[in-house]
Amino acid sequence: MHLRHGLARWWVLLGICAAAIAWLVVGGLASNIVYFRTASEAQADRVHDATHVFRLAGAVVPNSVQAVADGVDFQLTDGHVTIPVHHRGDPPELFRPGAPVVVEGHWDSPASSAFFASDRILIKHGSEYSPPPVPGQNAPANAGQANATQAARR
Amino acid sequence: MTGWRSRLGQLTDLATVGALGTLGYLALVVAPPDAVQGDAQRLMYLHVPVAWLAYLSFGVTALASLLYLVPATRSLRWDLLAGASAEIGVVFTGLTILLGSIWARPVWGVWWTWDARLVTTAVLFFLFLGYLALRQVPAAPHVRARRAAVAGLVAVTDVPVVHLSVIWWRTLHQQPTVLNPELNPQIHGVMATTLLWGVVAFTLLYVTLLRHRYRLAGLEEQREELLLHQAVLERRGIAADPLVPVLSDAQSLPDTQTLSEAQR
Repeated sequence: MHLRHGLARWWVLLGICAAAIAWLVVGGLASNIVYFRTASEAQADRVHDATHVFRLAGAVVPNSVQAVADGVDFQLTDGHVTIPVHHRGDPPELFRPGAPVVVEGHWDSPASSAFFASDRILIKHGSEYSPPPVPGQNAPANAGQANATQAARR
Repeated sequence: MTGWRSRLGQLTDLATVGALGTLGYLALVVAPPDAVQGDAQRLMYLHVPVAWLAYLSFGVTALASLLYLVPATRSLRWDLLAGASAEIGVVFTGLTILLGSIWARPVWGVWWTWDARLVTTAVLFFLFLGYLALRQVPAAPHVRARRAAVAGLVAVTDVPVVHLSVIWWRTLHQQPTVLNPELNPQIHGVMATTLLWGVVAFTLLYVTLLRHRYRLAGLEEQREELLLHQAVLERRGIAADPLVPVLSDAQSLPDTQTLSEAQR
């Protein structure tokens, strides 16, 4: 029976849980509740942000992706504002033109012509799923939808 | 008691195994890979049902806690049920995070990120782990049960927060595919059937796990009573054979049949 020996152990576990919750909420949730900013918001806050680190979300503009010596250059758009991004390192596997992404990084300089220097690309996939489109004629309904969703993202 | 009860129980056990096996076949062989994510998307057929099972467990814990707190239905059985269900919930919340992490790595590109859905789910895990710890802090049975019931009802408020986090806040985690605000499923055909099958299979798994855990909780309770009784007898200086004197009380051992069944 744990009546006497085990008493302290459960209070300790309870304390650990309370500390973990506090750490998650105060340290994690509070500063990330706005997980990303759109290109328009980032543009508007540009002076205020200077070169602080934040997350920027948008779609990769098709035909803007260029491999460079230390990574990849591309344009990121939210439909209104387009921001040039330079990412250091290899982009993730699902990175492709039109893909919705979140990049972590900062403005390269306070200048209004500055690009966004990213050191991490996260793929923000949607909540829709479908089989791959069948090449050729008469694609089934689902595949057609996949094409439509992908087109809509672009 | 109850030939038919244990028969029904065995039937649920079998149905659960069958349903899970079928899910494996549907998810790995029948369902097509996703257009964008490829085979990695198959993890959804586990991740979503596992998360559903965790929600369900905590829902049952809350309901049982409520039934305990209402004077008309107050019984320590509800307290046992609440505890048994929360244990399952904690395990499956942990599994949800683990499976989500394995899915996130190839798709998002990271194992973990500070996104509201992920953080509120981790909070849920620690809320109910704390709840389980609180249940173990010794006190008189009804004091302990009331304490646990209140804590369970407080902790369960995080469940809707977890579910709605992807709608309330901007997250990397996608919004619900089926239970979205528009109630417009964004998954069709075999993929939707497989997902639905997964939810049914894991609901069966929950019933099976809860049934066994609840029975075990009852046996644990009886064992505690026996040991307590034995300690009292020892105090009084009566020779303490752990079982014999108490068995003659008979009041607390309705389940000897279950015991002997378990031995078979």
